[in-house]
Amino acid sequence: MHKALLLIVIPLLSYGFWLSEEFKGIAAGVSIFLFGMLSLEQGFKAFTGGVLERILQKTTDTPWKSFGFGFMSATLMQSSGLVSVITISFLSAGLLDLVAGIGIIFGSNLGTTTGAWLIAGLGLKVNIATYAMPLLVFGVLCIFQSGKQLKGIGYILTGLGFLLLGIHYMKESFEYFESTINLAEYAMPGVKGLLVYTALGIIATIIMQSSHATMLLTITAVSVHQITYDNALALVIGANIGTTVTAIIASFGANIQGKRLAGAHLLINLCTGIFVLLFIKQFGIAVDIISKNLGIAVSDNAMKLATFHSLFNLAGIILFFPLINQQVMLLEKIFIEKRPAIFEPKYLDMSAMDFPETVVESVRLESIHLYENAIHIILHTFGLHRYDLQNNDSLQQLIEQNNDPIEYDIDASYEKRIKGLYSAIIAFISQAAFTWEMTQSAKLSWLREANKHLVEAIKDTKHLQKNWVRFRTSSNQSVINEYKKIAYQIVLHIQQVENFRHEIEDNELPLLSLDTLKATIKNDDMLMNRVIETLIRERKITPETGSSLINDSSYMRSIKKNLLKAAETLFLHSSTGNAGVEQQLSLNETEINDVVQTVDTK
Amino acid sequence: MKIEKLLHKLQAFFDTDKHKKRQHIEALKKILLKLKKKERKITHALQQTDDDCLIKHYQTELEIIRIQRRKGIEVLQLLKERKKLN
Repeated sequence: MHKALLLIVIPLLSYGFWLSEEFKGIAAGVSIFLFGMLSLEQGFKAFTGGVLERILQKTTDTPWKSFGFGFMSATLMQSSGLVSVITISFLSAGLLDLVAGIGIIFGSNLGTTTGAWLIAGLGLKVNIATYAMPLLVFGVLCIFQSGKQLKGIGYILTGLGFLLLGIHYMKESFEYFESTINLAEYAMPGVKGLLVYTALGIIATIIMQSSHATMLLTITAVSVHQITYDNALALVIGANIGTTVTAIIASFGANIQGKRLAGAHLLINLCTGIFVLLFIKQFGIAVDIISKNLGIAVSDNAMKLATFHSLFNLAGIILFFPLINQQVMLLEKIFIEKRPAIFEPKYLDMSAMDFPETVVESVRLESIHLYENAIHIILHTFGLHRYDLQNNDSLQQLIEQNNDPIEYDIDASYEKRIKGLYSAIIAFISQAAFTWEMTQSAKLSWLREANKHLVEAIKDTKHLQKNWVRFRTSSNQSVINEYKKIAYQIVLHIQQVENFRHEIEDNELPLLSLDTLKATIKNDDMLMNRVIETLIRERKITPETGSSLINDSSYMRSIKKNLLKAAETLFLHSSTGNAGVEQQLSLNETEINDVVQTVDTK
Repeated sequence: MKIEKLLHKLQAFFDTDKHKKRQHIEALKKILLKLKKKERKITHALQQTDDDCLIKHYQTELEIIRIQRRKGIEVLQLLKERKKLN
C-alpha cells in the first residue's frame, strides 16, 4: 500500500474502531484471516521442491484429477471457501498452476453440496471454527521445532487456525447485522422475488461467512413456510455466489495467480448463478423429476433444496469445466501482472545472427552492459555510486561517512538489472550454435563464463551484505574497522579494474597490469586473515565474530576474482598490438606468490 | 645503382624473419620504456599517499614492475645476442 494511502487509512480505521465495536471485530477478523493466509503460504513454501509438490503434481496434473482433489477436500472440510483459500496459497507458493487451481474450484463447488445433504437429511451442521484453537496450539508447537518440515507443518496448522479464527471473529461481529435479516419480510413472487432473494442470499453468506449457514437458514425458513420454495431456490443461488467472498478476501494477500483464481471462483459461480436464474423453471422441473426418482417426498422441500444445490453446481461444471483454458486466457487478460521495470538488452539484435563475428561482438557488448549493472549493484550495496570511483582520495572517506541504515535491496536490483539481461544473453548464445566455427564457439563460451562470474560476484555481495549491515553499527570498533576495510578493498578493486579497462583503451600495458591485480587480491586476503587472527588472539573480537569476518573475507576475495575474470574476458577481446610481447613479461603463479611474500616482509 | 637498391629492397622484403625480430626488439624497448615511466609514476604516488591499502597496492605494483622489467631486459639481451650471431 502506498505510504500516503496508509496515512489516510489508519485514522479512518481508528475512527471506525471508536464508533463501532462490531466494525472493530470485523476488521480484526479480516486481519487475522489475512495473517493466516500469509502463515499458510509460508508453511507451504517449506515443502516446495519436496513431498507436497510431488503429491500435488500427481493429484492435479489433469483437470479431472484437480476436480477430484477439490471435491474430496471440500467434502472432508465442508467448506468450499476454505478449499479455495488453501488453493490460493498453493498458487501463491508456486505449487500449482491456474488450470489445476480452477479444476479444484469446480471440484470444491460440487463437494460443498454434500453439506446441504447433511443439513437437509440429518440436520447436521459442521462448525469448522471449533478446530481453530487446537490447530493454533499444535501449529505453534511445531513452529518451535528445529526441523524445516516440522516448522512448515507448524505454519500450515497455525495458518489454518488463524483462518478459522478470522472467520469466527467476522461471524461474531456480523451477528449484530444477522439479527436484522428477516427472510419473511421480503417474500415476493415472480422474477422480482428471484432477484431480491438471490441478492439476500449473497448478502447473508457474506455476512455469515458460510454458505452452509445460509443453507441452514434457508432450509429452516422453507420448512416452516416462512418463505416460498421458489424464493428458497434463489437464496441457494445467492449463497453460492456469496461464498466466493472468502476467496476474494484471501486474494488480497496473494500474488497475481491467487487473484486470478479468486476471480475464477467468482466468475464460475456468478455465471452459473445467472444461467440457473434464466432457466429456473426448467431446473425446478428437473429437481422434481430427480427427487421423485430418489424417493424424496413432494412436500420435503429441504431435501429438494439439497438436490437443487447439487444440480445447480453440476450444471456449472458441465457448462464451464470444458472451457478452463479459455477462462485462464480471460483471467490473464483481466489480471495483468505488473512487472517491475527491467533492463532490456541493448545489443542482442536478431540481425546479428547472420555472421559469427557480429554474434560474438553483440554478446560482448551486452555482457559489458551487464558488467556495468553488476558494478552498480556492488557499489550501491556499500552506499556508493559510479561517479564516486573518479574521486581517488575520497573513496575511503565516503565509506566511513556512509551510515545509511537502509539496506540496499540486492534481490530487487538483481531482478531489475541482471536477470533479464543474463537470461537474454544465455538465450542468444544458445541460439547461435556455431559448431562449425570453433573460434567463435570458444569466444561465446568464454563470454558465457564471464557473465557467470558477474552473477557470482553479485551473489557473493549479497552474502556479504548481511554482516556488513549487521556489524557496521556494532559497538566494537575493531569489527566496524574490518568491515569498512572489506568494503573499501572491494570498491578499490572495482576502481583498479576500471583503470585496467582504460589501460586497454589507451594501450598502456593492460596484460602486465593484470599481474598486479592478481597479486593484490592474494595480498589483501592474506593480510585480512592475519589481522583477524590477531584481533581474536588479543580478544578484541569474539571467535564467532572472527569466523564471520573470515567468511566475509572469502566473499571479498571471490567478488574480486570474479570481477577480474569477467573484465579480462570482456575488455581484453581485441587486445593490443604488443600482446604477444607483453605475454613474455607477465608473471606466472609462482612469481606472483613470490611477489606477495616479498611485499609482505617489507 | 638502381638495380643495387632494388635488390636490397627485395632482400629486406623476403627477409621477414629478420624484420620480425627487429619489430620484436622495438616493441620490447617500447614496453620497457613504458614500464619505467609507470614505475616512476607509482613511486611518486606511493610517496604521496598515507592510505595503508594503497601503500600495499603500490608496493606490490612496484615489485611486479621490477620483475617484469628484469624479464624484459633479459629477453632483450637474448634477442640482441642472437641478432649479432646472425
